[in-house]
Amino acid sequence: MNTPSFKGTHLWDRLCWAKENLEPYQSDYRVVYEDSIDECAKILVPDPNWMACALQGGILPPVWVYHELAKDEAQEDFKKHTRGYLLHETEPVGAMTEEEAIEYLIMKDCPDSVWKTYNEGNRPKMVICTKQQLPQTREWRNAWKIDVAA
Amino acid sequence: MAGKIIADTIETGAGANVSTSYVVNGSAKAWANINGTGTIAFSDSLNCASLTDHSSGIFTTSFTNSMNNASYSTATACNLNNAYSGDMIVDTHATGSIKTKTYYGASYAGTDVTINCHSNFGDLA
Repeated sequence: MNTPSFKGTHLWDRLCWAKENLEPYQSDYRVVYEDSIDECAKILVPDPNWMACALQGGILPPVWVYHELAKDEAQEDFKKHTRGYLLHETEPVGAMTEEEAIEYLIMKDCPDSVWKTYNEGNRPKMVICTKQQLPQTREWRNAWKIDVAA
Repeated sequence: MAGKIIADTIETGAGANVSTSYVVNGSAKAWANINGTGTIAFSDSLNCASLTDHSSGIFTTSFTNSMNNASYSTATACNLNNAYSGDMIVDTHATGSIKTKTYYGASYAGTDVTINCHSNFGDLA
């Protein structure tokens, strides 16, 4: 199915079209990251409806739009968005591969303090893995890691 | 889009009518049903981009179309299958995401259950 020409169409209307016309796609990819040494690792899971939009193309705005809105919200006197038009009027991005979609999602929903420097320091603070590589029990992520050598 | 209807009111065959603004303003702009057991996942959703699993029962749902402000209203529901009291509550509202906690017992301990739902009402950005 071809995506209608959505430039200038409200993003909400595009998402409703996708909900009605696209099959959800559950990616096996997961993103594990640490953004605080005082908290356990977090796991980012893509939404199947969103992933369908990303793979289809012509629906989602470029990721920089979200960064601009985040800048606005970070202002001390922020009350409400005044540049929401960026979501609706910016040319939608084209079809992405699954891997490109995950990278987009990382830049959208992970703290930039994580993804901009994920591989600096003495160990990575973010990894992309598959669902099968994650333990299914909660203990792994909520437990302290004991150094056996100590 | 294939078609467009512009109307100020919606009227039934019996003559009862309501302003379309009631429908537009009163509809949920983002909703999700989340399975919080195992590796968490959306069961279904609208206007959501991702889930972040913080720890037991604590999730952040990010939106694709952000809300206009952080004062939107949220309704939650969950299926706690135990004898303790508990609830699913809002931890943090941001325009682009919502952080929720499902807990049980007097200690408010986070817990993972199979149905965690939230519906969000307000203006879109």
